[in-house]
Amino acid sequence: MTVLLIAALVWSTGAGALSISPAQIFSILCHKAGWHTGIPFTEQQENVLWIIRLPRVLMSLLIGSTLSICGGAMQGLYRNPMADPSLIGISSSGATAAVIMIVLGSKLFAGFQSMLGQYSLNLATFAGALLASVLVYRLSRQQGKTNVGIMLLAGVALNAIAGAITGFVTFLANDQQLRSVTFWMMGSLGGATWVNVAGILPFCAASIIGLPLMAKALNAFSLGESDAAYLGIRTERMKTIVMLLCAMGVGASVAVAGIIGFVGLVVPHIVRMAVGPEHRRLLIAAALCGGMLLVLADLMSRTIAPPVEIPIGIISALGGGPFFLYLLLKEKKRNALL
Amino acid sequence: MLQVNDISYEVQGKALLTEVTAAIRPGALTALMGSNGAGKSTLLKLISGTLQPSAGRITWQGKAMRDWDQRELARTRSVLRQQYSVQLPFTAFDIIAMGRYPHFRSKLTEQCHNVIAKVAAYAGVEHFLNRNYLTLSGGEQQRVQLARVLAQVWDTPSDQKLVLLDEPVSALDIQYQHQLLSLVKGLTQAHFTVIAVLHDLNLAMQYADDVLLLKQGRTVCFAPKEEALDTKHIYETFGVKAALHQAEDYPHSFITVCPVHQQYQQLQW
Repeated sequence: MTVLLIAALVWSTGAGALSISPAQIFSILCHKAGWHTGIPFTEQQENVLWIIRLPRVLMSLLIGSTLSICGGAMQGLYRNPMADPSLIGISSSGATAAVIMIVLGSKLFAGFQSMLGQYSLNLATFAGALLASVLVYRLSRQQGKTNVGIMLLAGVALNAIAGAITGFVTFLANDQQLRSVTFWMMGSLGGATWVNVAGILPFCAASIIGLPLMAKALNAFSLGESDAAYLGIRTERMKTIVMLLCAMGVGASVAVAGIIGFVGLVVPHIVRMAVGPEHRRLLIAAALCGGMLLVLADLMSRTIAPPVEIPIGIISALGGGPFFLYLLLKEKKRNALL
Repeated sequence: MLQVNDISYEVQGKALLTEVTAAIRPGALTALMGSNGAGKSTLLKLISGTLQPSAGRITWQGKAMRDWDQRELARTRSVLRQQYSVQLPFTAFDIIAMGRYPHFRSKLTEQCHNVIAKVAAYAGVEHFLNRNYLTLSGGEQQRVQLARVLAQVWDTPSDQKLVLLDEPVSALDIQYQHQLLSLVKGLTQAHFTVIAVLHDLNLAMQYADDVLLLKQGRTVCFAPKEEALDTKHIYETFGVKAALHQAEDYPHSFITVCPVHQQYQQLQW
């Protein structure tokens, strides 16, 4: 799995309008580290790799991993395989918070924004995402179980509300702000810079490292909330931690890349078929696989119709939407049998 | 030793349990019985430490329930419910391994593997440890859950093992009911203290040692089964007339309830 991931990384870094061979990538990286390998490369290749390609690929990797691991953890928390940050409105609430921050933030707290820069956006999306996850969780609980219907409908409602607020706020925006806003609505990895990558790294790292540590608790949770407590797990604390970490990870990825849907739904599902539902294995494998998938999807979005770039959100929705329908169908059949 | 001392429990001014006292014998199977809403499940939740009594106290091994650390408690008491709605395709082994969660940090220890092998054999589920739990029949699933519950306290010193069963057989068919209860009964020989909420008078008579009868949150009777399950107590608890019968080569009485019993009398006389 790790080997596949590295191969995908190298391939994706090399391919594009200007192609760079794996040997040259290696050589450029070594050159940056102050070590010469003797494999020739041009200055243009070096710049493209270092300024455009590399941060972009790393960001795809981070976001893919984070969204997948958060999706996997949320499915565990909701005790249901249909939970996904974008479906239940967590991503869009984060995006709305970001849009509000972009448009109103500069007026309301000018000093605050310039001081924290990238982090203020992260913070806004985090707050939005957290609010949404707490809300949906509260709404969908029914006698200690998750009511899937209510969960999905709450997501529909949140998505609608978030969309409305975003639409309203855009009326107040000026031209430049409007362009940033559109970017959030679409979901794109095009804006990747080293600053962005550094900005989301701590948040993504927190969820990628933190969530697998909750694996035992998530496993026990699948028996039922009270049963997890009988097994000595402090359920309230565990729920808070998982929700915080998920909101953090999803918030960070929304802050730099907008809404990329379905990754958190599809990846854990595929991985679960391969390694089983045990959350420790599942979450780690989902992080690896999700990173790889998004790196490849981004490669596709860049190279499918050059020089035009198709927003990654479109690709993920095209792939994820039908998959979601397939899951619904499966769920329907299963419930008919019961 | 589990001591239930004069406990009351109320929610929003409504008393669910009133002054219940019982010294549960270690190494015995105690059945909690009563009509719906009599407070059986509430009492079990209080004993498990999930709820705290409004008055009185419950002590386990001489220590008040509220003073137990959750993790410590999880190593000495475990709970089996009536039905589980697992949604994810865990293997039976995965489920049983969850019972060991209070005993290890991140990896199953060798001791854990030993215990899992033993409880799986005891519950008769060792043949389908690698099967997907969701594809097992109801009875098999419940036996896997029983194995998990046993794994949790299996290697705890004897007389310090408390197993609570909340209507463990209500969702099972007759064969599985007896299978599960025989397994549970066998535990008492290994000094497990078992408390089970049961509905069926005859199952209680067959498998329990002591019976605690509850009516509207109050104790009707707490005594060895033959003494507790007599016609007077049954009438007081459930509001039905019952008759006790003896049969040859049958170690205890069996019970028939009102309509059947009256028809039976009319036929006789």
